[in-house]
Amino acid sequence: MTHIYAFGSLCRGDVTRTSDVDLLAIVDGYDERFEPEMFSIYSYSRLREIWAEGNPFAWHLSLESKLLHASDETDFINALGRPNAYDKCRQDCEKFADLICQAEESLAGGNASIVFDLSAIFLGIRNFATCFSLAILQRPDFSRHSALKLGPKQLEIAPDAYATLEAARILCTRGTGECLTTERVDLTKGEIPRIRAWTKRLLEEIDEREAGI
Amino acid sequence: MSAKQEFNNRISAQRAILGVVNKKKSVAEELFSLSSKAIDRWVSENRLDPHSQLVNLVREASGKLFFLANKSQEEISEEYRLVSSEVAAICDAIAEQMR
Repeated sequence: MTHIYAFGSLCRGDVTRTSDVDLLAIVDGYDERFEPEMFSIYSYSRLREIWAEGNPFAWHLSLESKLLHASDETDFINALGRPNAYDKCRQDCEKFADLICQAEESLAGGNASIVFDLSAIFLGIRNFATCFSLAILQRPDFSRHSALKLGPKQLEIAPDAYATLEAARILCTRGTGECLTTERVDLTKGEIPRIRAWTKRLLEEIDEREAGI
Repeated sequence: MSAKQEFNNRISAQRAILGVVNKKKSVAEELFSLSSKAIDRWVSENRLDPHSQLVNLVREASGKLFFLANKSQEEISEEYRLVSSEVAAICDAIAEQMR
């Protein structure tokens, strides 16, 4: 049995020239037809598990996916209903804050893979913001620029630095774009303390929310 | 192993391999990541022999890391540990090639 879905920007309609085409394949077991760099590949049992966990990816699929193919003509995701409530926001946001921290340490340590570290920071802030929007704002934003769409909680960062982080992400995932100049890298490194302060502030807000303050 | 450790280890494994490859400063452009498109660009921009041992090892590491990220493979911890150790061995082999 196989189901194929599109999800993400394609389904939201906010497509740009640099948008990914996000595809999900649901399979019974290992299926060599699906290239892991092209598809997110999940087994039916794993998908049921993430629904039960209330995982953000389950919410993403539940809210923003469209069936492309079903070998049995059923809509598997629709039949799962809504996922359980998302209750691991603190844990997940801490994980992404750690990811940013490690990339910062790597950059400070003179790592030769600067683009990779900047890309990891972009991934960290995007995923952090998505988890926060889902659990705390209850206005889930799964877009690439979720960190800039949190209203008063959004990440305040120099636009050129943010664009550099995004460019690094695209260089890493798609191998396209111009190399980053030293000036752009230095400007972006200078903005990392603001990013750290933002994650710290939002983590405190999550703690307050969980403590019922 | 928690999901958090798994995620950050996958990033760490990639960072370690990139660190070894990018230590060599004589190339025109660094290897940005272990995605196949980033590897293709690195090979092309630096005019590397696509069949060289170094390129083969980097592609092999990429394949292993995408296996780790591929949630459809049943995430049996023993299998995960095996792949993790294989990635570490490939990293050592790349370091040998870079000497």
